[in-house]
Amino acid sequence: MTQKHWRWRYWPLKFKLMFLMLATSLLGILLVCASLIVIENHTYRNQMDAEMNAIAAVVAEQSAAALLFEDQGQLDSIISSLNRISSAELACVYDLDNRLLSIWSSERVLGCPAEIHTLQQGFGNSYYQILTPVLLDDETVGYFYLRAHLGVLAKHLGNFILMASAVGLVIWVGLIVVASALQRMISQPILELSDTADEIADKQDYGIRAPVRSFDELGHLSTAFNEMIATIQTQNQQIMDSYENLERVVAERTAELSLANKELEAFSYSVSHDLRQPLRAIDGFSQALEEDCADRLDETGLDYLRRVRAASIRMGHLIDGMLCLSRVTRQVIEYQDVDISALLAELRDELMASDCDIPSSISIQPGIVAQGDESMLRIAFYNLLENAWKYTSRCAQRDIRVSAEKTDDAVTIIVQDNGAGFDMQYVDKLFVAFNRLHSPSEFPGTGIGLATVYRVVRRHYGEISAMSSEGKGATFFVKLPRAALKGE
Amino acid sequence: MVRLAIAVLFACAVGAGHASVRSEYELKAAFLFNFTRFVSWHEPPSDSPPLVVCVIGDNPFGDLLEPLAGKRSQGRDLELSYVRDPSGISVCDVLFISASESRNLPTLLALAQEHRVLTVSDIAGFTQAGGVIGYVQRGNVIRFEVNLAAATANGLSINSRLLELAARVTR
Repeated sequence: MTQKHWRWRYWPLKFKLMFLMLATSLLGILLVCASLIVIENHTYRNQMDAEMNAIAAVVAEQSAAALLFEDQGQLDSIISSLNRISSAELACVYDLDNRLLSIWSSERVLGCPAEIHTLQQGFGNSYYQILTPVLLDDETVGYFYLRAHLGVLAKHLGNFILMASAVGLVIWVGLIVVASALQRMISQPILELSDTADEIADKQDYGIRAPVRSFDELGHLSTAFNEMIATIQTQNQQIMDSYENLERVVAERTAELSLANKELEAFSYSVSHDLRQPLRAIDGFSQALEEDCADRLDETGLDYLRRVRAASIRMGHLIDGMLCLSRVTRQVIEYQDVDISALLAELRDELMASDCDIPSSISIQPGIVAQGDESMLRIAFYNLLENAWKYTSRCAQRDIRVSAEKTDDAVTIIVQDNGAGFDMQYVDKLFVAFNRLHSPSEFPGTGIGLATVYRVVRRHYGEISAMSSEGKGATFFVKLPRAALKGE
Repeated sequence: MVRLAIAVLFACAVGAGHASVRSEYELKAAFLFNFTRFVSWHEPPSDSPPLVVCVIGDNPFGDLLEPLAGKRSQGRDLELSYVRDPSGISVCDVLFISASESRNLPTLLALAQEHRVLTVSDIAGFTQAGGVIGYVQRGNVIRFEVNLAAATANGLSINSRLLELAARVTR
């Protein structure tokens, strides 16, 4: 992350503003300095041109007589006065026939140009040169050649550039101070707005407002932002209010519902429990009547008595079923890994031992593991297996298979039998308590078993479904989610 | 190409100029003309009359002075005049006194002063004798001397540039 921070879009706003102002002013200063330098160079060259022309004119005028009389000594003395002109480096005097009459040069020994009439006058790369006719009474009597080096110009220009740079730098430093003060005028409101937005986001406090300091676009921005926050605050309040209201309603409903549930459970439990007492009396006295008074009853009476006893036994089973259903509804689930294969094997042994009237086979896929409450799962699978066992009792041979399919988030246990099956039309009623798809004369039962299975599976957040067609067996699918997903 | 050819021609001309050593009287003739350019005659320059250069006595210049005729000096046309008789110098502005006239020198100088004539000569001791400009030889170089007092007496004023070049100025 840090190595990206030099990029433009990661720069803080104040840096960007500062950079823009300073870059613009620097560019301006540079342009001004460059123009000044160009102008100064031009001016100085013009000045030097005029100066050299004047010097050449004076020297030419002075040397006219000496030139006419070919007085070399005098000529030498005249042009040696150029010693005082620091930039002059070479001077030559020619007569009309281009004969060189006198030569002067500064410290360097220089040769005079042999061909003077084709000279390129003015500024060259490293020197300035000029050829002036020597006049006497408007008549040309010779020529004066003067050459000056540009060292002075270069030095002057160098000094000027140094000065311009120094002044430019001072101005720029001044501008840095001014710019850092000015950028605050723009960046401060934006930073305040940004800080306010951050604060609101952090504290979730929609009562905070950004300060409005001006009436320009930034002021409008702050005002609009504040209005937006006010709207959010109002809406938030409404949401919170309705949410609280909803919570309260839900809590009320839940309380009512759980109270009703508890009452119902208590009712069914106590009913079941309390029903046992008179039932035991009925059964006990019926038995006593059968044993002690059998000789005083005729065959019809004994038959009635047997029916009373059979009914009371069935009622006992009903009460057991209701108590079981009540228990699995109320019991707290303790999750653990349950070896379903082992559990089923125990149940199979129980069933095999009880009443194995026809050739029976129960095959169980080994290694089925599910997460859940072992005692509740035992009840569920006992009921499923018993169900299968019961509805295969009319077959020539009993064949029950238990298998499992595993996915990432659930395990589906499949219990398949070859029994009577049921009509898929009534599949919805299959798991509802006291609903039976077969009459007790066909297959005995209470109508509570599958309801109990359904309750156990639902309490494990699982799903149960069944598929069948009459006479071709039934298949039950129990899908149990993995422990990690429980309670979600 | 044309420019190069011209340059070569010019260089040849310059070389020729250097090669030819000018004779004594060639130089003196040139000087004589140059003197006229630095001397002022106190005459009202009303209609710029011709400037008459006279030679008295045996002419040592031969025809070397001929090119002077037709030249202009200070806006005046030059005329040449070879004078036999001293009385003829009244028309002269410049008078070259030949060495052959050294005996008549006082007479000629007196006349010259009267007619405001610039006197020039290569007679030895000319300026000391009262002449205005006299040629002298310094080594193998021709120079000149000026008698400023004589010039003033003749009503002439001599440019300071000329005085600077003089080998000696008598005041």
